Amino acid sequence: MPDLTLTNTVPQSRRVKLLAILAVAAVALVIVGPLFLDRFALNVLTRSMIFAILAITVDLLWGYTGILTFGQAAFFGAGAYVTAMLLTHVGSNPALLALGLVLSIVVPMLIGGAVGWLTFYPGSSDFYATIISLVVPIVITQLIYSGGTWTGSSSGLVGYWGINLGLDGYFRLAGLSLVAIAVAALVFVRSDAGRILTAIRNNEMRCAYLGINTNRIKILLTAILGGVAGFAGYLYANASGVVAPENAGFIFGTELVVWTALGGRGTIVGPVVGAIGIGYLSAQLSGDLPFLWQLLIGTLFVVMIIFLPNGLAALATGFRERARAGTAPRLVAEAPARPHRESDAPLLDIRNLEKSYGSQKVLEDITLSVQPGELVSLVGPNGAGKTTLMRCMTDGAAASGGIVRINGESIAGMVPNQIVARGIGRKFQVASVFESLTVAECLRMARTTLDAPSIVKTSDVLGLPQTAIDILRLSGLDQMLGTSVSLLSHGQKQSLELVMVVSLEPELILLDEPTAGLTKTERTTIGEVLKTLTAECGIAAILVEHDLDFVRDISSRIVVLHQGRLVLDGTVEDVVNDDIVKKIYSGGGHE
Amino acid sequence: MTLILDMLTSAAILFIVATGLLTIFGVLKIINFAHGAWLTVGAYCAVATAHMGLNPWLALPLAFAAGAVLGLLTERFIVRPLYSRPLDAILATWGLGIVIGQLITLWFGRDVQFTANLIPGTVDLLGTTYSAYRLFALVAAIALGLGFSYLMEGTRLGLSARAVIMNETLARALGLDTAKIRTVTFMIGTGLAGLAGVLLTPLTSTDPTMGVAWLVGSFMLVMVAGQSFGALALACLLLGGAQVIVSTYVSPILGGITVAVLAAIILRISPKGFSRA
Amino acid sequence: MNDMSDVKTAKLALDNVTSGYGHVDVIKSLSLDIRRGEIFALMGKNGMGKTTLLKTILGLLPLKKGRILLDGKPTDNLGPKGLVDAHVAYAPQDQPLFQDLTIRDNLRIALRSDRDLNAGFDRVQGHFPFLTDRLGQKAGTLSGGEQKMLIIARSLMMQPDLLLIDEISEGLQPTVIARIADALKTECEANGTTILIVEQHLSFVLGIADRWAVLKLGVIDDSGDIAGDTQDRILEHLRI
Repeated sequence: MPDLTLTNTVPQSRRVKLLAILAVAAVALVIVGPLFLDRFALNVLTRSMIFAILAITVDLLWGYTGILTFGQAAFFGAGAYVTAMLLTHVGSNPALLALGLVLSIVVPMLIGGAVGWLTFYPGSSDFYATIISLVVPIVITQLIYSGGTWTGSSSGLVGYWGINLGLDGYFRLAGLSLVAIAVAALVFVRSDAGRILTAIRNNEMRCAYLGINTNRIKILLTAILGGVAGFAGYLYANASGVVAPENAGFIFGTELVVWTALGGRGTIVGPVVGAIGIGYLSAQLSGDLPFLWQLLIGTLFVVMIIFLPNGLAALATGFRERARAGTAPRLVAEAPARPHRESDAPLLDIRNLEKSYGSQKVLEDITLSVQPGELVSLVGPNGAGKTTLMRCMTDGAAASGGIVRINGESIAGMVPNQIVARGIGRKFQVASVFESLTVAECLRMARTTLDAPSIVKTSDVLGLPQTAIDILRLSGLDQMLGTSVSLLSHGQKQSLELVMVVSLEPELILLDEPTAGLTKTERTTIGEVLKTLTAECGIAAILVEHDLDFVRDISSRIVVLHQGRLVLDGTVEDVVNDDIVKKIYSGGGHE
Repeated sequence: MTLILDMLTSAAILFIVATGLLTIFGVLKIINFAHGAWLTVGAYCAVATAHMGLNPWLALPLAFAAGAVLGLLTERFIVRPLYSRPLDAILATWGLGIVIGQLITLWFGRDVQFTANLIPGTVDLLGTTYSAYRLFALVAAIALGLGFSYLMEGTRLGLSARAVIMNETLARALGLDTAKIRTVTFMIGTGLAGLAGVLLTPLTSTDPTMGVAWLVGSFMLVMVAGQSFGALALACLLLGGAQVIVSTYVSPILGGITVAVLAAIILRISPKGFSRA
Repeated sequence: MNDMSDVKTAKLALDNVTSGYGHVDVIKSLSLDIRRGEIFALMGKNGMGKTTLLKTILGLLPLKKGRILLDGKPTDNLGPKGLVDAHVAYAPQDQPLFQDLTIRDNLRIALRSDRDLNAGFDRVQGHFPFLTDRLGQKAGTLSGGEQKMLIIARSLMMQPDLLLIDEISEGLQPTVIARIADALKTECEANGTTILIVEQHLSFVLGIADRWAVLKLGVIDDSGDIAGDTQDRILEHLRI
């Protein structure tokens, strides 16, 4: 085996060292800060650092995962109010302060979980998440208003006793919390598991078709980050000694987004700097020129969104992200992780499948069954329903009638990731990969469900099935594991997607025009790979393809679809010499 | 009787406020988060008209013109680069809203302004004494709805706009100037928001942040309505009516969140809102 | 019939055209000319670049290399709007109608102003009288064949000099195909309209076209006048 680790493994350890140095420096600053800063600065910075924690949560949701949220203020407000209400109405002692800490995290987490469950369901849109993120702070704020003496209504709660730390102590507590949370966030987003967030932002459908339950991840993320925001609320309620309805409102939520955007989404450090910088400058300048300062921030924000969507951090780091040569892990062949099939039922069994859009029937009375080791080509003119048929095999909600069974089990009502978990892999027509990840990271995504990734570190080995490694070698991608996918050619992306699908260890692969836009050599390579996969590895494959020369070379069986009906199902010889097929391909066909 | 009138007129006011937002969302698929700022601009047009001692009704054409001109600039310089990034368009227009709000503050100060009521007093209607202006708002909403239906159904501009809504690729392939249609639509949307701002002045206090309070409600209604003005009218009647009922019988504060919560629930059950019907 | 690029006298001439999506070239250095007043059929299997070529001509896809000449003048930057002004009409294949608009509005949208509406309706009435009888009906409620006739009718509204039609015969019954073929032939003979049809339907092509070419993987694989041996030659290219 050639040594693949030579190329670049240095950045990994260097990055860890850099992070450690930064963290230590930040901690030192936070500890000595009170010796140099005046009262005013300490106050302002304490508040800004607490807000910076919120900016981190916004960044994880929006910058990394792509969920634009105005709702983090609501969780912050919930945490702050839980604390203040406990201390006001029950009393203040160390036990209650500890209870407040627990409640200020648990309550927002529960709200977050509920909100996440409401927001992320199969078929939900990004827009809906943003809508809900507006509703939540409005609801929480109105509940505070209607809480009477319990919540202090519009004047908020004031005059309770928090942790007795003094100005310096709160500055240090807020600072250390911020550093701890920022480091945890940085470690997480750079870990193998953290890359899933970027993968979801890049291409959520591909995640689902790799068997990853993206909705569960997003719900979990919303709940956890709700808890973090609640913790920030706890700090704020203690440090400021006053909570007000505005702390939970959506205006504050939009401010968090502004800071995150100006600092640089998707960087963790950027939003922290943005939140502290703008918070501090606001306090300094707003006394002299209050409205002009807001005007400036607003203008800067608009200009940044249009021209520099990745924020000021993008200026500082230049094009680092684009050229980001990730680490190239070592390839290791893994024994099959999936149990061998035991069922006697056909691998795929379709009975009387129907699909219609309104009154228009796209598929009618399709009956088809596929056994392990078969390579079935699905051919037919444009609009015959081939891609629709593929979709009905991977989405339990797609069909309008009939039944699709995988190993004897009906897929009705299943979502794609459940179907993938039952051994179906799907390769799309336009290569569906993750543009912001490296080749190795894409492959690791495909292994997520079989081989749980670490949430703290980047593994230096990448375990794949032997067949997947073989295809990597054949396509030359094994030498490009650390390369960013955005730099790959069209053909390389097609190969990568195929390797990703094979890495799922599927029993059946669905391929939609795998050779579209490929060169002659690339076509031949893919053809060889498919033959090996089916004939030698016992995987079944269904292929939609227009290039009939290609189909003739590799198929063990051809199915002809015409105007939504299955008109012929036979060997290559049968189909090529059939009169109906000739007629269909010369146009018109039969009525 | 008063309750029914309250429900109808509340729905009418919501409809007036939301039309501008729906016009833009329907054709351009962009959420104009500066919508609140345009309402404020419209309201301050009424303030300015009053300062200048002009007929208060003149504020209506003035606000429409001001909204449309600002809309032209906004579409050209801020929204156009962001058509392919709808989430960023929300943010950029929100930023623009901040800017406009601050400019108004610099110009007029942050204090609450008062303007003369366009139609003061009350009328007796079927034995009930009711605010004349709220009844006027109902008439204005109906006029606005009918005027807009005529614009969409009866004119070439409307036909082009509907074509862009239904199938922009085809509209472009048939040689329609989609860029111009977008600009004009955006101007009409912002113009209508300005108009709505004037119409709001007798009902609420006028201050630099007044628009934001209306923004979220209109946004929710538009999300529920999708692309259709009929659906918007329906959404305003149902959600606005529910708001009045909750405010009257349960609590005014909970009434304030009725529209948002109902919209969220409706969209969860039927992601396309009412426009599917 | 080897001279496929007689640039000067052609209604539409493609000179070494390369185009595609992103950095994938679908059409590769293709040259072709369509003569004034002829019906030209571009054939080829799916995925060979037929629709891509049409979209490139229309300016919906960027021209990467080469030139496209309309009446001898480059069409650079004309775009769909400029082409409509130059009396070029297009009948697309995917989602070709506004389903929720009436027949009247679907026809109206092809024109710049309502001034020419009646002249357009007259032209349509000559070919497909059923459309002008049912102007108020929604396009989506028409049958598949009627919708195809509406697409052709719309492209005739602006009295085009050049008509580009993408796979109009797909999935149609022979009687409907015959009506469309009739309309196009009459149009060509009566008004001298040049027509480029992109097709897979062989008998339709044999019935109306003057010349043909077969596209394979983005290049012209074979071409000629419609003659006795055409059917066999084209079938050779289209068969499995």
